[in-house]
Amino acid sequence: MTTAGVITGTLLGCVLLIWVVNLIRNGRLYVGYGVIFVFGTLAAIAVLLVPRVLEAVTAASAALVPAPSLSIGAIVIMLFLLVYVFTQITILSNRVMHLTQELAIRGAQRQDRPHPEPGEPR
Amino acid sequence: MHMPSPGRRSLIAIPAHNEAATIRDVVDRVHAHLPDCDLLVVNDGSSDATSAMLADSGAIVAEHICNLGYSRAIQTAVLYAARTGYDRLITLDADGQHDPEQVRALLAEFDAEQLDVLIGSRYMVSRTYAGVPFGRRIGMRLFSTLVAVTAGRRIYDTTSGLKVIGRRTFDPLTQWHFIDFHAEALVYLMRLGFRVGEFPVTVVERRHGQSMYSTISLLKYPLKTLLMLLLGVIQADLTRRRAS
Repeated sequence: MTTAGVITGTLLGCVLLIWVVNLIRNGRLYVGYGVIFVFGTLAAIAVLLVPRVLEAVTAASAALVPAPSLSIGAIVIMLFLLVYVFTQITILSNRVMHLTQELAIRGAQRQDRPHPEPGEPR
Repeated sequence: MHMPSPGRRSLIAIPAHNEAATIRDVVDRVHAHLPDCDLLVVNDGSSDATSAMLADSGAIVAEHICNLGYSRAIQTAVLYAARTGYDRLITLDADGQHDPEQVRALLAEFDAEQLDVLIGSRYMVSRTYAGVPFGRRIGMRLFSTLVAVTAGRRIYDTTSGLKVIGRRTFDPLTQWHFIDFHAEALVYLMRLGFRVGEFPVTVVERRHGQSMYSTISLLKYPLKTLLMLLLGVIQADLTRRRAS
């Protein structure tokens, strides 16, 4: 890979890393999904930055899947799309979770106080 | 024997997922040893007879209609305690490993030291993690060291399910997300300035059911906890900066 390719790949990895970490921090990406992206991206950056490992990985992957270099661009786009999809799944899952917790708490409050004050949510 | 300070309301919370074999016994023992505390069982989407075992047990039951996981079950208990005006939340495992009789000593220590969180620690005295499987032992040492490095105080048992949680921490514990309320939650609270302590307890081996950690989670759990621990440090520092 050319030096420009390594720099571009590393920069893209850093952008993905910052985006994913921020999504996890804000609770918009479940940490179970995020951890795969974070450690996967860190591993990919490490491979890019160590020439011998990069050569070995390139040789192995080219032997298995001889693909034009443009397909790497498609993989990167797919990766970003995947993070977006997982974000949407997390948002939906958070809504279900809050609803489940709210129902449980209200049910428990009804047992604790079977006759709430007028106007108090049941 | 220690009795809770007058006017301080305590809630015992037991998160339970498929614990039909042990839950009734645990509930009965809590009622017998801690009659002055209210008891909440969070039934976390159990598919066995846990719900039936809790009927007429005298415990308040919060039913999750689907399984949300341990941390969310604890969070439900924290939310319930906050909304219902409790001063302290005491968490116990549903598998019968924790002896409710030891809670009195924990509460006495919690009050005497004016702590925000007190952990019932299995390893505080021996500090060797003897009897713990090799993989888990490495993890426990790692997270104990990470807590010491990031929060400035070593906690020997970061994965204990027996905790006393004070009212002051209810808000931060529901506003940030945690994996299992373990090392990542402790570091987050300590970085926010809350006082966290440890008190030695003994536990018995679980005789029924399965641990919540599967083979895959043994690989994924340390990575997730490590990530959340580091993010917790950032989040706590940001929160403190905003507050000041």
